[in-house]
Amino acid sequence: MTSPVTDTPVTGAGAAARAADLWKVYGSGEAQVIALRGVSVELERGRFTAIMGPSGSGKSTLMHCMAGLDSATRGQLAIGDTALNGLGDAGLTRLRREKVGFIFQQFNLLPTLTAEENILLPLAIAGRKPDPQWFKTVIDTVALGDRLHHRPSQLSGGQQQRVACARALVSQPEVIFADEPTGNLDSRSGAEILTFLRRSVTEHGQTIVMVTHDANAASYADRVIFLADGQIVDELLEPTADAVLDRIKRLDVVGTGATE
Amino acid sequence: MIKASLRGLLQRKLRLSLAVFAIVLSVAFLSGSLVLSDTLNARFTALFSTINQNVSVVVQAKDPQAVEPARLTDAQLRALSEVDGVKAFSPDVSAQGVIPFRGTDGEPVSADAALGFGVDGKDDPLGLVELREGRWPTAEGEVAITAHTAELAKVKRGDQLKVYLPVLNEPRSFTVVGVAGYSGGRDSLAGEVVVMFQQAFAQQTFYGATGLYGGASFAAEDGVSDDVLKQRIVEQLPDGFKALTGQESSEEQSAQVGVLFDVFKYILIGFAVVAGVVGVFLIFNTFNIIVAQRTRELALLRALGAGWGQVAGSVLLEALIVSLVGATVGLAAGIGVAAAGEAAITSEVALPSAGLVVAPLTVILAYLLGVVVTLVAAFVPAVRASSVPPVAAMRDVVRPDKSLTALSIVGAVFALPGIGLVLLGAFADLGGTAFLVLLGGAVLVFIGALLLSPLLARPIVRGLGALIGRGSAGNLGVRNAARNPRRTAVTAAAIIIGVTVIGMTATVVQSFKTSLEDIMGENIGVEVMIQASVTAAPDGRQGFNPKALEQVRAIPGVKEAAAWHFDALGVSVAGQPQAFGIFATDVGQAARMFPIDATDGTIRTLAAQELVLDDNIAETLKLKAGDRTPVAIGGVTRDYTVVGVYQATPIIQGILVGEAAVADFPGPLAFQGFVSLNDGVDAAPVVERIETIMKDYPGVQVGDRQSYVDQATASYDFLLIAVQILLLVALVIALLGILNTLVLSIVERTRELGLVRAVGLSRSGLVWMVTVESVLITVFGVLLGLALGVGLGAAFTKALMTLEFATVIAIPWLELGQYLLAAVVAGVLAAVIPARMAARLNVLDAISYE
Repeated sequence: MTSPVTDTPVTGAGAAARAADLWKVYGSGEAQVIALRGVSVELERGRFTAIMGPSGSGKSTLMHCMAGLDSATRGQLAIGDTALNGLGDAGLTRLRREKVGFIFQQFNLLPTLTAEENILLPLAIAGRKPDPQWFKTVIDTVALGDRLHHRPSQLSGGQQQRVACARALVSQPEVIFADEPTGNLDSRSGAEILTFLRRSVTEHGQTIVMVTHDANAASYADRVIFLADGQIVDELLEPTADAVLDRIKRLDVVGTGATE
Repeated sequence: MIKASLRGLLQRKLRLSLAVFAIVLSVAFLSGSLVLSDTLNARFTALFSTINQNVSVVVQAKDPQAVEPARLTDAQLRALSEVDGVKAFSPDVSAQGVIPFRGTDGEPVSADAALGFGVDGKDDPLGLVELREGRWPTAEGEVAITAHTAELAKVKRGDQLKVYLPVLNEPRSFTVVGVAGYSGGRDSLAGEVVVMFQQAFAQQTFYGATGLYGGASFAAEDGVSDDVLKQRIVEQLPDGFKALTGQESSEEQSAQVGVLFDVFKYILIGFAVVAGVVGVFLIFNTFNIIVAQRTRELALLRALGAGWGQVAGSVLLEALIVSLVGATVGLAAGIGVAAAGEAAITSEVALPSAGLVVAPLTVILAYLLGVVVTLVAAFVPAVRASSVPPVAAMRDVVRPDKSLTALSIVGAVFALPGIGLVLLGAFADLGGTAFLVLLGGAVLVFIGALLLSPLLARPIVRGLGALIGRGSAGNLGVRNAARNPRRTAVTAAAIIIGVTVIGMTATVVQSFKTSLEDIMGENIGVEVMIQASVTAAPDGRQGFNPKALEQVRAIPGVKEAAAWHFDALGVSVAGQPQAFGIFATDVGQAARMFPIDATDGTIRTLAAQELVLDDNIAETLKLKAGDRTPVAIGGVTRDYTVVGVYQATPIIQGILVGEAAVADFPGPLAFQGFVSLNDGVDAAPVVERIETIMKDYPGVQVGDRQSYVDQATASYDFLLIAVQILLLVALVIALLGILNTLVLSIVERTRELGLVRAVGLSRSGLVWMVTVESVLITVFGVLLGLALGVGLGAAFTKALMTLEFATVIAIPWLELGQYLLAAVVAGVLAAVIPARMAARLNVLDAISYE
């Protein structure tokens, strides 16, 4: 097993987001659930990373903590050169506004806004003007064409998720976190979304972190991190769908063996 | 099914508590009003039962308010007293308005009732009044007073006491020879002032001759029931009199007095109606939103086999439980309101206690109101709930907003004819029916506007939003306010209702005041006004002796002083009763003081049996200069000649006769006095001098021109304040309604809130977003309400102008601005709790909220 995962805090300047010895514990006493057990990971700038793992492995919790949506019980977190520890709500809000983009499984578009207004929402909130060149590039990438002035309720699921992708891309954040972005889509729409994400990494150097349980989706990434029981148990570079599936099977065997 | 809806109710108890509150308010005002009025009635009944404790039968004039009420003679009284079964009797010689002046500063004693009695020097045969010190009056210049009167007038036995005598219309001085109290050691029965005179003097003064009585009370011998004695007395009763048992008399008197406190009852019932109407909207909205949020759950019930009737029934059951809780709390609160009201009233008027009276009818009405209001409001949401398709359990069924077209067409069907009627009432000269036409039109316009308000909500909210919704957070708030126009409109309905009423009242009152001030301005030559306060229909028996004006004319700087007599009792002209009465004055002098423009004939000092009248009345009575017409004053009919017709103005209108006619008036007192001054004379010292002269006449006020305007508009100001308090009640409920809608919307939009937070909106941005939505809803309601209110108010004023009650339409911009400001503040306040709720949402939980 290759093991590039480090056990010590990372300080590399090339990291877009970092976690060091990250613990996340829910509840206390008998009801205590340990979601993350000392995870350390560094997500390189300009790369597409997928986080995989079975249900309850802590993959979503890891992403939420790294994105500043959830607080860590212990450990160091940073996005770019900003440490998340100790940031209050105002600091986290500013961080989300300036350095983070999100794509959700449920699309989460505002029904009162048109597609274009939804895309520009983060910039509007931050009080920034869109770079017209970049805006055009993003719009072209997601290929919404004449649907820009439609409301979410008039768009298909795939179109809505493309709007959500454009919304994440338009502010050129330090890192985009995507939580099961294809989970609610049919396979063709899902493939379109993954292609956009792949292209934005390859062509524009965007950093993307994606949580998924779909081996095919993970195959679009540069690197796949496997989580089980709150720990990083494996990693795969330049994955193919088959390689990912193969690795998952091995993990299952290991897991089954461990419990026996 | 029932279990499911009960469990749902418990889970939503927070959301429903605001709906409950609306019911509580409405029921509290209604039950408070009923309990208060029953309780006061019980107290008065207890009071008069005390007075009549030893009285078996009361004999009194059938019409004590008549100009010449019936009197008992000595012989008639003796005949009644000799009826078989009479043990004792007490004749009644009395008058109202017998007002003592304080011994210390000479000011009249103020009390709700000031009575004078004639006593025959012996102790009260019925044992109600007891002498405490001294003796009963036996000479003309002597009086006895009750201990309470002695305390108020600050006099004791042996002192001189000045007393105003209503029939003599002047004060006299008396020696206090005795102080009396009531059985049971009480100083007064209900805070009244009582002066007792020698009987012959009282008869002479009050009735104009000795040997006359106003009535009498009789006690029965043992073994003779009150009813039997009453029957025997009735057989002997002279014409013009009636006999009542003591019990009947108590009930009649308490009912008469109780009417005085009805105003409290009506104010509270007004509040109950406003709270109820506004509550319907609040409850409607709450249930509607709850049903919308429960779509999936309701669909699941339907998928599991529940019939639509069961689903609708579950919503109505929920409403029923809410209403019962609300009515119960409201009833308790209402009893508290009544207790507070009773305490406030009885701190002014000493009354025997009878405990709080909660009648069964009060309880029934309280629950009926609560249940009916809630079920009516919940009916449409219940039907909507029953129409949820079962498939909605599996997937989001997009139920697009129903088109507003149908609703708007219905609204227009109401509004357009309404506008037509309002314009007709305002501009066509319809006389008195104009107001009926206007009122009908106003109701139609109002209903139409409420139905059209969803259509108007979007453009108005967006327009307003462009002004205040700066920044992306504000912009999101604007869109939220505009996204569901029905919800916005229903939420704002409470405000629309309240503000329409207040806007209309304020416009009419402002127009009336401005008109008066305009006319009172430069072109009238009156600087000082003397005015009798009115406690009954003026008929010359209240006011001041016109001879007192001789002293006024002697004041340096006074140019002229005019006395105006007024009789509003039983006057008719050309066979038509004149509810607005008749004035007697020197019309030539009046024309020098006021602008009176003749449209026909001449306006001059009138001789006996001559009159002038305003053009409106002349038209109604079809009279012109030179006509002769019968005029009845004080029961005497004479033929009068019409000398002139003048243009009615808001200050001078009506039928005017010469001073010679005062002889026919029921009383000789002047109702008003007008004083003009020489150029350059300061009014203030003259007002003071005249006040000294008028001191002998209790209830007569003196003031300058401005005080006259203030007084003339005082009753309108009172109306305005009453309506403003109503508005406050409506606004509080409206505020709760907005709070309610916002809270429910926030729950509904949890995921969106999570998202905007995730993409970088700060907590304060979220608070601003919610506040903008709230303020937009209130301001929308206020603007629509003000537009309606001012429009309708202007129409009513226009109709008033046709009748010469006003000269201009004045819009009270200042007040309107204040209402708008109040609405903004209310909007901000209503947003506080929902905004905090929204700001406290955990971003992660919110995004994944189902």
